[in-house]
Amino acid sequence: MSAARVGVIGLGNVLMGDDAFGPWVVQTLLAGYEFSDEVAVEDLGTPGLDLVPYITDLEALVLVDTVRSEAAPGTTRTYRREELLRHAPQTRLSPHDPGVKEALLTAEFAGRGPREVLLVGAVPGTTAMGTRLSPDLEAAVPRAVAEVLRELERLGCPATPRSAPCPPDIWWAR
Amino acid sequence: MARIVIDPITRIEGHLRIDVEVDGGSVKNAWASGQMWRGIENILLGRDPREAWIFTQRFCGVCTTVHAIASVRAVENALGLEIPLNAQYIRNLIVIAHAMHDHVVHFYHLSALDWVDVVSALKGDAAKASALAESLSPWPNNGRAQIQATKDRLAGFVQAGQLGIFANGYWGHPAMHLPPDVNLLAVHHYLQALEYQRKANQVVAILGSKTPNIQNLAVGGVANAINLDNQATLNMDKLYMVKSLLDEVVAFVHQVYLPDVCAIGAMYPEWLKHGAGVTNYLAVPDLPLDTKGTQFDLPGGTIMGGDFSTFKPITSFADPYFKDNVEESIAHSWYDGKWQKHPFDETTDPKYTKWEDDGKYSWVKAPRFQGKPMQVGPLSQVLVGYVGGHEPTKRWADLALKTVSSVAKVQVTPGMLHSTLGRHAARAIRTAMIAELAQKHWKLLVDNIAKGDTAIFNPPKFPPGEVRGFGFHEAPRGTLSHWAVIQGGKIKNYQAVVPTTWNASPRDAKDQKGPYEASLLGNPIADPKRPLEVLRTIHSFDPCLACAIHTLDPEGQEIARVKAL
Repeated sequence: MSAARVGVIGLGNVLMGDDAFGPWVVQTLLAGYEFSDEVAVEDLGTPGLDLVPYITDLEALVLVDTVRSEAAPGTTRTYRREELLRHAPQTRLSPHDPGVKEALLTAEFAGRGPREVLLVGAVPGTTAMGTRLSPDLEAAVPRAVAEVLRELERLGCPATPRSAPCPPDIWWAR
Repeated sequence: MARIVIDPITRIEGHLRIDVEVDGGSVKNAWASGQMWRGIENILLGRDPREAWIFTQRFCGVCTTVHAIASVRAVENALGLEIPLNAQYIRNLIVIAHAMHDHVVHFYHLSALDWVDVVSALKGDAAKASALAESLSPWPNNGRAQIQATKDRLAGFVQAGQLGIFANGYWGHPAMHLPPDVNLLAVHHYLQALEYQRKANQVVAILGSKTPNIQNLAVGGVANAINLDNQATLNMDKLYMVKSLLDEVVAFVHQVYLPDVCAIGAMYPEWLKHGAGVTNYLAVPDLPLDTKGTQFDLPGGTIMGGDFSTFKPITSFADPYFKDNVEESIAHSWYDGKWQKHPFDETTDPKYTKWEDDGKYSWVKAPRFQGKPMQVGPLSQVLVGYVGGHEPTKRWADLALKTVSSVAKVQVTPGMLHSTLGRHAARAIRTAMIAELAQKHWKLLVDNIAKGDTAIFNPPKFPPGEVRGFGFHEAPRGTLSHWAVIQGGKIKNYQAVVPTTWNASPRDAKDQKGPYEASLLGNPIADPKRPLEVLRTIHSFDPCLACAIHTLDPEGQEIARVKAL
């Protein structure tokens, strides 16, 4: 929704344990780094197809989210746009299924949306009600932060470490 | 008897599963099931009630603001706290902008493709589509060249061998029968709707400080300091930005969304006969006009058994007719026990057992009003308003019914809205009505500020003992209520009875089916392997059940999600 050309978007439900990984990484980034005006760093929760307005004007998107994979909890994986879109979206029963693919494809049909997409994913342990990350996921936060910083550098808009970093505002875990 | 299970369990958690038994080409029995336990309410226990809304708006990623609004209203109700007029109007504008956004997205991006055949749109003629559009609406963006550009874009997608977002539609299904020109027009408006939903979202962002999770609420009012000359506060610049965005969205709703629903609906008149289901309707009043919540711009009430003469209004934020008559049953839900209790007295103790058609089969509880299942959502609100003589509801509903009747060449009456198609029509009617109210409430806010009133907040005071409160909100998907028990300034019990819980409710102790289940009975099924008709009826309710968890499946294998047994 801002004038930024690069979006760093954390996805996930902060009340559902490890599903908070994306928002947790976003808060960690905001607490430790300063970003140029062309970068927007946001926790968008679980917006489903409502993600579309936030990505329409972006040239590049870095998503941080939990991912389903056979690997052990806390494993981080990255995926590019083509890998995300390899499988077609499935039939929706509820219109509010996650919808990252759907959001990217919808923006594409409108001739908009980011050309470059990197998903930084972590395999969750427990996604049951709770406001803490499991130890495996907490250990994965710095790795995901590093992936995001590397991507921003590659995109020509590196983040700067704060001279006086503050603790991340993990308000939901207080 | 064949059984169809629609169960996207391989992809997401926390979703909806629908089972139907089919015989002779129509549905004979149905079950709706929520497939994940949430129980998020337990996170609130022991917390400060002034912060509850910040957590409740995280219940769901799509219905964020609605849980924030219901939560502050519940705590205010417990304290008997009135809120300043400015705070009501600002909340109302957020509520309306969010609802317009939500309804437009639901129609064009989430459910239109149940009715619109995108592949057939390629055979549409831009000139004929343009002529049709211009006969229905003064909208300036229906020109032949603009529609041709949409067709070229779509053709480019199809020629590239990828339908992208449209890859999984039931194209060419025998139940799809819009003419190609109408399909093309719908795709054209699908693209435009993307722009207008953004504008509605921007209104929420300006007034709520942020989206999708707003930051400007407080128990007792709002946190939008008002100073017309200060850049950092709610000032005239921001108010005019809100007005110009609202005006654009209102034009889209009145000149595109409503006419489209009427035109497309008129070509599927058979769907006025399917999908009625539970015809007990519940809607709560909303858009309060006073500090107490006793006068409203949206009416609420109940209608029982589809009989309009049973209409009974709900008239205030404290109305005992609502408060005393809501209960939830767990007879067929995966919780410990078989009770039916008032929300203040409920517990949430999960006890999962296997699926049993005659036993427990859902994580969703079964809300009941005076012991009866109720349908909630725009159809309930429109019927309650129509029967209660609410002028804007009548005016917009009559206009929509007249348009449908003239295109379909049959007389369509309010009684025919008890149907799958009726739910779509009612959602468009409601959107047209609240669009008009957006402009009214903007003016109410500006006029009130012009009088010199800049109050936004009355501080809450918590007594040492126990207080109980409920807050309701007529959300895009229908009646939402939050119920809070507060002891010494801390939350002792909290329950949210959400619209999709009413509609996706399983059976209760008396084996009364919930609205989804009942609405599927008698639905035609042309092809059990492609149960488009089931999706049409379920989507018409605008279900929201799946947003609690957000694990992506980028390596996702394609696994059958529709099983015809």
